[in-house]
Amino acid sequence: MRLARQDRYAELEPLLASVEHPARYLNHEWGAVEEQDGPFHVCLIYADTYEVGQANLGLAILYDELNAAEGISCERCYLPWIDLSALMREKQVPLLSLESSSPVASFDVVGFTLAHEMIATNIIETLDLAGIPVRADERDEDDAIIFAGGPSAWNCEPLCAMFDAVLLGDGEGEIVDASHVVRDGRAAGKSRAQILLDLSRVQGVYVPSLYDLVVDESSTRWGYAVPKPGTDAPEVVYKRCIPDLSVTDPIPQKMVPYMGIVQDRLAIEILRGCARGCRFCQAGMTYRPVRERPIEQVVDAAEQGLETTGYDEVSLSSLSTTDHSQCALILRQLDERLEGKGVRVSIPSQRLDSFGVDMAAAVSGSRRGGLTFAPEAGTQRLRDVINKNVCSEDLENAARNAFELGWRRMKLYFMMGLPTETDDDVLAITAAARRVLEIGREVVGRGYKSGVSVSVSCSVFVPKCYTPFQWCGQLPIEEVRRRQDLMIRANRDRDIHISYHDAQVSVVEAALSKMGRAGFDLVYGAWKRGCRFDAWTDQFDYEHWLEAGRAMGIDLEELAAEPYDLDARLPWEHTSPGVSKDFLKREWHRAADGVTTDDCTRTSCTGCGVCPTLGVNNNLVGDRCGR
Amino acid sequence: MADELFRLRVAFHKDGRLAYLGHLEVINTIERSIRRAGLPFSVGNGFAKRMRVQFSQALPVGAFSTGEYFDLTLTEELDTAEALARLKAASPTALGPERCAYVPRKLAALEAWLDRSDWQIELRGEGFDAARLEEGIACVKRAGKIDFMRGEKQRSIETETTLVSWETHDEPWGVSLGLKTHSSNLGALRPAVLLDAAFATEPLAGAMRASQRVCRCGQWHEENGGLMEPFDLSFSWSLTA
Repeated sequence: MRLARQDRYAELEPLLASVEHPARYLNHEWGAVEEQDGPFHVCLIYADTYEVGQANLGLAILYDELNAAEGISCERCYLPWIDLSALMREKQVPLLSLESSSPVASFDVVGFTLAHEMIATNIIETLDLAGIPVRADERDEDDAIIFAGGPSAWNCEPLCAMFDAVLLGDGEGEIVDASHVVRDGRAAGKSRAQILLDLSRVQGVYVPSLYDLVVDESSTRWGYAVPKPGTDAPEVVYKRCIPDLSVTDPIPQKMVPYMGIVQDRLAIEILRGCARGCRFCQAGMTYRPVRERPIEQVVDAAEQGLETTGYDEVSLSSLSTTDHSQCALILRQLDERLEGKGVRVSIPSQRLDSFGVDMAAAVSGSRRGGLTFAPEAGTQRLRDVINKNVCSEDLENAARNAFELGWRRMKLYFMMGLPTETDDDVLAITAAARRVLEIGREVVGRGYKSGVSVSVSCSVFVPKCYTPFQWCGQLPIEEVRRRQDLMIRANRDRDIHISYHDAQVSVVEAALSKMGRAGFDLVYGAWKRGCRFDAWTDQFDYEHWLEAGRAMGIDLEELAAEPYDLDARLPWEHTSPGVSKDFLKREWHRAADGVTTDDCTRTSCTGCGVCPTLGVNNNLVGDRCGR
Repeated sequence: MADELFRLRVAFHKDGRLAYLGHLEVINTIERSIRRAGLPFSVGNGFAKRMRVQFSQALPVGAFSTGEYFDLTLTEELDTAEALARLKAASPTALGPERCAYVPRKLAALEAWLDRSDWQIELRGEGFDAARLEEGIACVKRAGKIDFMRGEKQRSIETETTLVSWETHDEPWGVSLGLKTHSSNLGALRPAVLLDAAFATEPLAGAMRASQRVCRCGQWHEENGGLMEPFDLSFSWSLTA
């Protein structure tokens, strides 16, 4: 039932004195849009705590777009931490938006960010706390229309029972178009079903209720989705794609939070997409093509954004910042313009070569904290399998360069359980760390005072849809543990610190990545057993997930480890980022043969299919040299 | 020769929803306001290149204030009216600056120098009145110290010097309490800690607090039994750290 739109902060305020971090719930941040006159109201939700969600650049982009649209107001909402949600349920206070403190259940449209798989139970928790029916087919005519979108939307099937529409691809423009359809439909007195039908005509919008699930001999056990007869819904919904990043607002992040958030700095998106083609990386496939922001726009935006927000740090964000063809020039110009202002520039990741180290040196000034590289695999053979186009020499040169420039602590990211991995590959992880440490000792000297150390962080490979490894099963959990143990025991140096991710979380992540619509029963069952904030280590309860699986006759660990037939119709094929199945198959075969594929921004087209399918192209502002 | 630097003292309030900000959150917010205001602030020579700004003693989360201060080091002697106007325009209303003036650079650190606070507390609830609260606080004072938990840590604060005086009044809505506290490097007495201890004493047995609104009304420097106002320019300012 739709609740009345009214300010209910007075009901929330008395609860704030007895919860952790009340600053999460205050609103009125600098730059927040206070005027929320509507008359059409949208609430965007990141279903995690404020400090996690407020940092999300995608949400900031959509918030700005919607508030700039005539007649539309957009507010934010985050999931209250467990202390406040318990009090809200006890005092019967529904979930409220931040800006106007209105019930979320009073909005016309509510949008969720699908940031990662482990946010699933939080979305149920959010809807429940808001008093909105969790399942789309249980909603009343006048209930809010629920949108979802974001990086994890590519297999949204396990969650799509909750969503009226899923927006695929770049949200700029798309969310305003979709909101207009709802607004105009409501104004014309159209039924909810008719509005959903209209939404399915908007490019990039997938309406799950217009599709039937078919399980047959051509599919996996989770089946595939086909348009319901008579709906004219597209067989495949392709993502929306902005061809030119320079037409977007370079400073979408205008709000300055009071409390410390996970990335507490100004972020300027300097490029979108990555064509390096790492075969495990979903973002590398789903954000194509590559679009660079012009250098003047980046530099002006950084300077102006710092002035208007008061931040003392600007991050040049993207999937691979040092790949920007003008990266060195951007950093040089920023350095000149920001000199003496006590401002730091940061780049989120370093390329594994000397250029990457030079860029890290350019932004760090005299500071030398830790430097992070991601070789991902220990042997050249396995790096070729995953198409991580770096060699041992790159790692050694980068490490030597970094130690010579003053760094003492090196962090290396690896993945465990990659397809074709053997014990030799696992042992090579420790060996690579030893080699880097040895280089550090050669350059800096031995002994405690040299301060040289290497940290290894090893995650567990999760096969993701729309990657060449989407057909793979995950390494069984006992085998992951054996290999983790093997890796740990191979290390005898106190200056090498090895940490690894919880294999149990990865099992749930893999299960949700592989399942189809039936996955919702798993998520709902886990939530009913108390699961929420699953991405928080201290809140994650593996046993509840296993129980939820058992209740529906599923062994979660078996499911995660199950490979799919290369020719099977997969549960997510009707929602596409444009990358072709043939390309992914070809890449899978090349992986099996250990053959690498070039980056199309540096050589020629590699035939992924994105550009012809979406009618776009790589859009670079200069030549990309080197690999 | 080193460039000349100027120490600008700014008084501000903390109210509305922003009463729920913690001390670090207040610091971050004000530093960002200063940057937005475009004031010519000085940057430290340390590793982190931080703005040179210092704050008066931490205000508890949830407490309001009409008397908070920060000292900002500037590289130019900007006109105080202009500095205040620019700061006001760049600050959230609920953390708005009210007054500013230059003070000698060599003055002791603000947090240690402002060692006296006045508090006004409004208490609502059942089973207590001004007289019983008065008596409860007197019991705490006589005990000489308060043992309390902060998070998971056991803490202790003496009341002989930290609790200077108090007065209570019955009001139509409950009881008002005026408190004067003194801080030193041994610690500062927080009103909530005092009240928790007082409500655990015999005179307040069975009393229930429904809510308490805490406001710091002012801060001073105590010297030779007298109180100095933070902007008191008649003072010789000879006290250095």
